[in-house]
Amino acid sequence: MNGENGHNSILVVGGGIAGIQASLDLANMGFKVYLVEKTPSIGGRMSQLDKTFPTNDCAMCILAPKMIEASQHSNIELLTYSELKEVSGEVGNFQVKVEKKATYVDWDKCTGCGLCTEGCPVVIPDEFNRGLGKRKAIFMLYPQAVPKKCVIDKREDRPCKAACMDACPAHTNVPGYIKLIAEGQFKEAYKLIRETNPFPASVGRVCYAPCEQACNRGQIDESMAIRDLKRVPAEQWNIVELEVPTIVKTDKKVVIVGAGPAGLTAANDLALKGHNVTVFEALPEPGGMLRVGIPEYRLPKQILRKEINYIQKLGVEIKTGIQVGKDITLQELRKDYDAIFIGIGAHGGMKLGVEGEETPGVIEGVRFLRDVNLGTKVEIGKKVAVIGGGNTAIDCARTARRLGAEDATIIYRRSRTEMPAAEEEIAAAEEEGIKIEFLTNPTRFLSQNEKLAKIECIKMQLGEPDASGRPRPVPIKDSEFTIPMDTVIAALGQATETEFVKELEVSLSKKGTVEIDTKTGATNIEGVFSGGDVVTGPAFVINAVAAGKTAARSIDRYLKGESIEVAVEEKEPEKFSEKEMDDRKKRFPAAKRIKMREEPVAQRVKDFREAAPGYSLEEAVEEASRCLAGQIEGCIECHECERRCDANAIVYTMKGKDIKINVGAIIVATGLDFYDISGLEEYGYGKIKNVITAIEYERLTAASGPTVGSLDRPSDGKIPHNIAFIQCVGSRDFRYQPYCSSVCCMHATKEAMMAYEHEPGTKSTVFYMDMRAVGKRFQEYIARAKKDYNVAYIRGRPGRIEVNPENDNPIIWYEDTTTSEIKKFEAEIVVLAQAMIPQINKELAKILGIELDENGFVKIPDNLSQPLDTTKPGIFACGYVHSPRDIPDSVTQASGAAGRAAEALTGGS
Amino acid sequence: MNLEDIIQETNTHYCLECGKCTSVCPVAKYDPSFSPRRMIENALLGFEDELTFNQKLFSCLTCYTCSLRCPSDVDFPVFIQKARGIAQNNGQHGICAHAGQLQSLARLMASPEIKQSRLEWLKGIDGSALYRISDTSDVLFWVGCAPYFEPIFEDIEFSALDITKASLKILNLLGIEPKLLPNEKCCGHDALWTGDIVTFKKLAEYNAAQIKEAGIKKIVFSCPEGYRTFKLDYPNYVDLGCEVQHISEFLAEKIEKDGLKFKEIEKKVTYQDPCRLGRHLGVYDAPRKVLESIPGIELVEMPYIKEESICCGTSAWTNCDSCSNMIRMQRLSEAKATGAETLITSCPKCQTHFRCAMVDKGDLKRSMPEIEVMDLVSLVANAMGD
Repeated sequence: MNGENGHNSILVVGGGIAGIQASLDLANMGFKVYLVEKTPSIGGRMSQLDKTFPTNDCAMCILAPKMIEASQHSNIELLTYSELKEVSGEVGNFQVKVEKKATYVDWDKCTGCGLCTEGCPVVIPDEFNRGLGKRKAIFMLYPQAVPKKCVIDKREDRPCKAACMDACPAHTNVPGYIKLIAEGQFKEAYKLIRETNPFPASVGRVCYAPCEQACNRGQIDESMAIRDLKRVPAEQWNIVELEVPTIVKTDKKVVIVGAGPAGLTAANDLALKGHNVTVFEALPEPGGMLRVGIPEYRLPKQILRKEINYIQKLGVEIKTGIQVGKDITLQELRKDYDAIFIGIGAHGGMKLGVEGEETPGVIEGVRFLRDVNLGTKVEIGKKVAVIGGGNTAIDCARTARRLGAEDATIIYRRSRTEMPAAEEEIAAAEEEGIKIEFLTNPTRFLSQNEKLAKIECIKMQLGEPDASGRPRPVPIKDSEFTIPMDTVIAALGQATETEFVKELEVSLSKKGTVEIDTKTGATNIEGVFSGGDVVTGPAFVINAVAAGKTAARSIDRYLKGESIEVAVEEKEPEKFSEKEMDDRKKRFPAAKRIKMREEPVAQRVKDFREAAPGYSLEEAVEEASRCLAGQIEGCIECHECERRCDANAIVYTMKGKDIKINVGAIIVATGLDFYDISGLEEYGYGKIKNVITAIEYERLTAASGPTVGSLDRPSDGKIPHNIAFIQCVGSRDFRYQPYCSSVCCMHATKEAMMAYEHEPGTKSTVFYMDMRAVGKRFQEYIARAKKDYNVAYIRGRPGRIEVNPENDNPIIWYEDTTTSEIKKFEAEIVVLAQAMIPQINKELAKILGIELDENGFVKIPDNLSQPLDTTKPGIFACGYVHSPRDIPDSVTQASGAAGRAAEALTGGS
Repeated sequence: MNLEDIIQETNTHYCLECGKCTSVCPVAKYDPSFSPRRMIENALLGFEDELTFNQKLFSCLTCYTCSLRCPSDVDFPVFIQKARGIAQNNGQHGICAHAGQLQSLARLMASPEIKQSRLEWLKGIDGSALYRISDTSDVLFWVGCAPYFEPIFEDIEFSALDITKASLKILNLLGIEPKLLPNEKCCGHDALWTGDIVTFKKLAEYNAAQIKEAGIKKIVFSCPEGYRTFKLDYPNYVDLGCEVQHISEFLAEKIEKDGLKFKEIEKKVTYQDPCRLGRHLGVYDAPRKVLESIPGIELVEMPYIKEESICCGTSAWTNCDSCSNMIRMQRLSEAKATGAETLITSCPKCQTHFRCAMVDKGDLKRSMPEIEVMDLVSLVANAMGD
């Protein structure tokens, strides 16, 4: 069916009900139809409506079959998320350029599963729900969208390199959770951190925060307080109440040896994958070094306990007080379980090798901390020396101070520069009055009455670098001196206790650590995996978490019979170039890092209260708002969607593209938009909370809306039982839109009926000028509303809305023009019949080469004999952009426009 | 002008009878028998007598609250003004307050023979000049009715001349020696708005002639009614050939362009938009700008301000009744509720009406909220020198 110029195709602009109907009619006649729609889905305004008048049919139920038919019709090519750019030529031979905007999601791969959306940290007001709800930066327009595909709302490039994520061993989505904190979405933030780390609250207190060193903001002023922010979300709500996701159980059993951060992370991930996980722990309490190595004042046990409780809620069984290798053998475990993870950490102490080490009063550091943490009584004297320079030494000294040591001294053989403890920990210790003797080493412990009395030390100097790269400390001859001392805590380091793994012939290093393939966590024995301190020797919690995750991934794959080798891209944290730094400094004002509050020293050393109580909510939001990644609107490229997308559909580098098509005729069906009524100050829209527009009302009553169909009024979420509708808001008004919007009398009646159907007994009052029920069965519809749905109609256009300050109810001032009385009417919510305007602007009209009328509708030169023809031959209009009209009229016009377009192609006039 | 012409001129035939005008009308709120919508309906139905022989025709405040909300762009205040013209021809003139002496004054001044001695107040007790004025200046300060108000409003302790004097002090301090017309006539505002077009035209012509003769380039007003009349009504009858400005606009300009600074005055104030300055002429921001420029002044707004501001209750000294007092009570209560010490306005008539309400309390003898009322220029004069 070719036209004069050989074209048998037609362009339809606008994918609403009119555009869909015109497309279907033409496609069924055998024409090729290109349906261009600027949003990601067809459906138009009708998809936003709850019901339709005068039958009260569900809008989506009527619309969806047509949308699906259009998407599946072999003659229709959907060009959604596309805009018309150029039109040239004439009837029978138009050349059209359409821009397909970048979706950043490969629609050939996207399955519309929505997993990406769940994880996205960027929360944006949802235009589809008229800003009443929120959507994410990656989103589907609405649940029934056609095509059922996601798009990323990416507006500009992320202003930082997100080096934090690359620096973090667990690759925590730092920009994501900081963005969520900045927006006050604490629960979402906690969930996002938990994706990569099941201990947000604990790690948020003790992490060595390599992210902060990498932070790009640090290059322009001060780095973000990433660690301090991480603990905030957990404090804003009860994490124990976090819902357990739906887990599909498998029949596989995994045993975890050691309930430390590595083991519990692996347990968490495997439980989420549906496997049956049992954890054996030698100590009476789970948590590993987080529980027994880190003092209460740095990590309150209650907090750790809650995070472990949640892991148990996922179905993980933790058996404490059972030492594998002693109480149960590895062989037995291997028989009973499908896979084993060894994560026993490094809980053994190290000997000083100094004379008198066995003297009572000389204690081993790891053991000291463990005893204090488990509540075992530990005797210490007034004068305490701690030997060592790591975080354990600092923890021992600060703990000793809290146990009553008046004089606590750290003895370290190198200088401050080489001290491995975190700088802030050293500073905190010094604030608490702890002395540090640098370049000093104990040589002898001297006792009196079988009790420690003195220690003999020697002064050291720094020599050539040793194997660790640090300068080797060399004793200075004859520099020995003695100090009186009651207690010595030897905090030299921790050793692994791995004898028991030999039973399975798991290979060990010379140092006694378990040897694994670090990419997979696999040991040399099939089905046995390991990670954490037992592999690396004493290291950081976040490294153990990362190792637990790696092993869990491998174990899951192993249990499914897949190859455990996975290509994982590791990227080095990237710094800003000089040029980028200059640019960022110009774009973003300098802002100092907000310091976390600390308890005053004099009070905090008296007990084990948490030394740093953390940010207030306001401080956290302010600090989070400094993050460079969050300075932009829309997608911040945190890659969370990419991480979740099983179909690998995310393409951040996608570019929009122009496509050229030739068509013989064009149908304009761009529909309607809503007139901005904020100028009508008398109704207070935007200022009075319980004054909403009709389309907002539709979204509230729609089952797919932001409240799942519950008509929660904005001020307090209460369901109103006394609703007022005000008609002609911006319509039939010389100051705004002089014409009648044509559908408001009927949609207000429908909405009033819906209120009654949702909540029987609801009273609705419609303030009107005159009822325009001009359509088949419309008058009967209004009669039914009065009779069966408790709807009253008052003739009078209100002039002012006040607010009752007691209950936020709007109070309407009006004249009842049938009785000439001036009255007030208090309603629980007011719904405004907002004027509607044609959705076409001068630019689009110019592209099409058509004229618009004085009110912005498509100009129809001959409304009587050619009512669908625009000012340009071959271009036809239908639906609201043609003139104000309801859905049945738009559909009728659409079929008419399709007929006219077909006629134009087949040589008619 | 006959009724049909009035309907055409004021867009009244576009009326949709929606009642929005009546729902916001301050008079209708307290007087159920007053309805702008029904007055229009009567006109449209041709019931001319129903409209023009009704006393309520003179109750309209012509405050423009209705017209600003009208979806059909009906100019109701002008409709009323012109309809009052018909009423006047029929011998109707509303109930004149203060025994009609203010209306009489206007008519007296319309006589060419009348000689006034209206600038005596410029001299101090010893006969020396209190303010510097110049006969040759091309800037005219419009004195208005103030000298005549002096004896009439003695009982409510209101001196309109204080506002005039404050204005002259301000002008002098800013280096301006204005001209004052020794035989200035009433501007005719009240005559026009009560439908006495004959008197209004005479007054306009006398004034225009004097102004032209004196070679005036700019007229400064402290009264918004005079300002409105010169700005919007005179051009329909006479040619002035000069610029007109309200003193609040003049001061706002000085603050903005010349960096005018004030002394500190510690005071919490609220502001009453006069109908003529506000809704008639759209001057809402200039007085606020002046207030906010005075260090120590804290401006706390009432709930209804600017376009939504509520009138002081009477216009053109006509039909001042218990409904007027109800309106004043509402407004004074709102002013009091802001916690302000002083209600600032920039119209002498607003001040007269509020002061009167607090003294008289009306027939109902209700307890009227009390608050100091002061003109903007009086406050500014205090902030500008000793």
